[in-house]
Amino acid sequence: MNDNTLQPKSFGERLREGIASFGLPRLIIAAFLLLLFIAAPFVGANFLTQISNVVNRFSWNAILVLAMVPMIHSGCGLNFGLPLGIISGLLGGTISIELGFTGAMSFVMAVVIATPFAIVLGAGYGWLLNKIKGGEMMIATYVGFSSVSFMCMMWLLLPYHSPTMVWGFAGKGLRTTISLEGFYDKVLANFLPINIGNLSIPTGTLLFFAVLAFAMWAFLHTKTGTAMTAVGSNPTFAKAAGVNVDKMRLLSVVLSTWLAAVGILVYEQGFGFIQLYMAPFYMALPAVSAILIGGASVNKASIANVIIGTFLFQGIVTMTPTVMNSMIHMDMSEVIRVIASQGMILYALTRKTEGGKK
Amino acid sequence: MNNKPSVGKRALSFLGDNLVPIMFIIICAVCIPVSGFSASYLINEIVTRMGRNIFLILCLLIPIMSGMGLNFGMTLGAMAGEIALILVSDWQIWGIPGVVLAMIVSIPIALLLGFFCGKLLNMSKGREMITSYIISFFFNGLYQLLVLYMMGPIIPIKHSSIKLPRGYGIRNTVSLLNMRHCLDDALAITVGGVKIPVLTFVLIGLLCLFTVWFRKTKLGQDMRAVGQDMDVARDAGINVEKTRIISIVMSTVLAGFGMIIYLQNMGNIATYSSHSQIGMFCIAALLVGGASVDKASIGNVFLGVILFHTMFIVAPSAGAKITGDSMIGEYFRVFVSYAIITIALVMYETKKRKMKSRLGLQLQADQAAEEAAGKAGAQG
Amino acid sequence: MKKKTSSRGILFKVAAILLLLIIAAVMFVIGRGHTVYIDNKSIDYNGETYKAYNRVNVYVNGERLAKLGARERGKSVNIGQEFKMTIEVTREKGDEAETLEDLTFKLPYSWDGIVINVPAYLSNLPQEVWMTEFVAQTTEAPAEEEVNTDELDEFTLGDF
Repeated sequence: MNDNTLQPKSFGERLREGIASFGLPRLIIAAFLLLLFIAAPFVGANFLTQISNVVNRFSWNAILVLAMVPMIHSGCGLNFGLPLGIISGLLGGTISIELGFTGAMSFVMAVVIATPFAIVLGAGYGWLLNKIKGGEMMIATYVGFSSVSFMCMMWLLLPYHSPTMVWGFAGKGLRTTISLEGFYDKVLANFLPINIGNLSIPTGTLLFFAVLAFAMWAFLHTKTGTAMTAVGSNPTFAKAAGVNVDKMRLLSVVLSTWLAAVGILVYEQGFGFIQLYMAPFYMALPAVSAILIGGASVNKASIANVIIGTFLFQGIVTMTPTVMNSMIHMDMSEVIRVIASQGMILYALTRKTEGGKK
Repeated sequence: MNNKPSVGKRALSFLGDNLVPIMFIIICAVCIPVSGFSASYLINEIVTRMGRNIFLILCLLIPIMSGMGLNFGMTLGAMAGEIALILVSDWQIWGIPGVVLAMIVSIPIALLLGFFCGKLLNMSKGREMITSYIISFFFNGLYQLLVLYMMGPIIPIKHSSIKLPRGYGIRNTVSLLNMRHCLDDALAITVGGVKIPVLTFVLIGLLCLFTVWFRKTKLGQDMRAVGQDMDVARDAGINVEKTRIISIVMSTVLAGFGMIIYLQNMGNIATYSSHSQIGMFCIAALLVGGASVDKASIGNVFLGVILFHTMFIVAPSAGAKITGDSMIGEYFRVFVSYAIITIALVMYETKKRKMKSRLGLQLQADQAAEEAAGKAGAQG
Repeated sequence: MKKKTSSRGILFKVAAILLLLIIAAVMFVIGRGHTVYIDNKSIDYNGETYKAYNRVNVYVNGERLAKLGARERGKSVNIGQEFKMTIEVTREKGDEAETLEDLTFKLPYSWDGIVINVPAYLSNLPQEVWMTEFVAQTTEAPAEEEVNTDELDEFTLGDF
């Protein structure tokens, strides 16, 4: 009955709303990055090298950020439980090496092996999140923490034997960092790379991300995908329309977990090392803040948010140390990164959520 | 005649309500003999740790009372305490006067931080915990900015034992050698080989009395009303936002005091990491004592500290004895801390949902009855 | 009525703040810590040499703090503005030890470390001769310290 009361908005109102929806912190971060890019040549940093660095870091991290999308769509909020997916990926990577695969094949097998882990762990995690609707984010955080600290024990106890991975003197227990040389180090990055002078673009990794991002976009436009979005934006309505809410949420969590697993493998191939034990602990936070910087909110996210957010976030992470160091001889980059990224998450959490939730 | 099933049911619900402490008692019962520690060593350690930590954990009770859940933002209070201690040790005020001065200095800092925290939590009702958790990270960034870059050039720091050689910023560890154990050793008595830090326990006792008294004051009653139902409280004329802010501010100030007591026992400040895990450990200890997100008592605090610390002390050695690797036990106790919080959160959320659905059914039934009555009235 | 209570509230708050400030000020005075070094060393003043004693025993709070031979230094940490000690002095070898009870010193607030030279003090030289500020000699170059802000570092080994 009340639908007719909506009135056309004036231009000024829309402009104000536009700025409001873009968000002041986002504006500040974008402006700051722009400033860094402008300042970079003046402090003697090579512009093309800087661009290459940012693009490289972008290619490592983009899929981890993409993993946020399904759960935000289905109304499960920000996936602070990302470490669970990362652990699936780590299991895939280490088992693939343990089984003796090398080169590009080790990457393929890592993804293949990680998949069942991601599905099983993701399903359990999704089942749990269905039990506690409304309190997802806090519990997700602690599911992530518990699983990482549990795996800390497992990395020591599981029967790994590959000499490249276990501690030399003990002959058992995985090392904290494992070099990927000879395995899947840079397998994607070295596919059709572009190297012109100081500019180097890891085309393969970018393509891999593009494929996954496109698949995600396409999925969100299928019948299941739209149903998932419906569950997120208005669960009561979705239920009335005959959508199985719990099933949709479960699916989104499994997808998110699987993407995190693949994401960490892609990260490792770029970085060149597998990091175990406490390393995955806080990995959710950069991914969460990246997608928020890109314009997502607690219950709304798009592929564009992922791309913009990862670029802005990684831009700041890579640019601040170089530029700040040469400008004021003080390495404040770490502190700036913490304040900017946590501030962004805080900003998103303190907004009133539109739509279905609460 | 239905006495028997009700006993069984009651036993079951008792088990369900106290699942976490019971699990912990079992873990401790298994680990203590394996670890091979002597009883006197264990008791000594636990008494020391009780003195060190109970004050910190007690500060969590007030936000729980006002329905704001587990206050991860207590880290902010810990930061305030650390800043105060850094300043006081640069001013070279030693011993108990140093502790008292640090507490006084920490008050304004904690007030300010607590006020911000409360404001932010008011903007995110319904997800206070995750927000307070992120707040602790965010303010850790600000804390680093202050301690690492502003102490020296802006806030004068004189002594090179505290300041980094580069001329600004604070060293990784600040020694509190001249303050170490000054509360614990004052009035300490030894009973059967166990040193009891009487003064620290007196402070803890005072805070317990304060908490009990505070529940009965007007403000305490208001907080409980707000915790029960914000809308009802607002209708009753309570300023909900203000009450919530006061509750967080009180918790933050007390956390600052608690951190100072904690650090005078430890004997040094790990400038960049002392506070980062403190919230997690305190919350885990409280939950181990059988508290939940919406209900916690002083008894929970004491039981929690004893059980949690028993596990904390024996786990590394028990782990090493069982698996032959000393790191296993270290990881195990960290895992247990997190798992306990996870379980407690899950139990709380499922309980909340059950209550909600029951309430929903009740409402539906009421509505149906009302409608039926209305219809009957219209017909009549 | 309401106004009255609120103004009383403000008064109460101001009083509380004042009280805290007063306590803080008192703490500044009674809590200031100094490290006191007691020297039994020869000292030159106005072309005269005041020789170190054969043995000086220093007692603080009824406990023997140090047994100083010639050219030795004892150290005491002291909270507050006053330092009290009792010394037993044996001037030359074989001499009878003389006891000086409760020597009281006012310590300058701004000095962290204070050196008291016993021979100079007992020879009634001016205060600036027997009481000097202790300056630590740093011979080694200050080593740069790596700051570790990584939250995970202390994590597994952290105590609580």
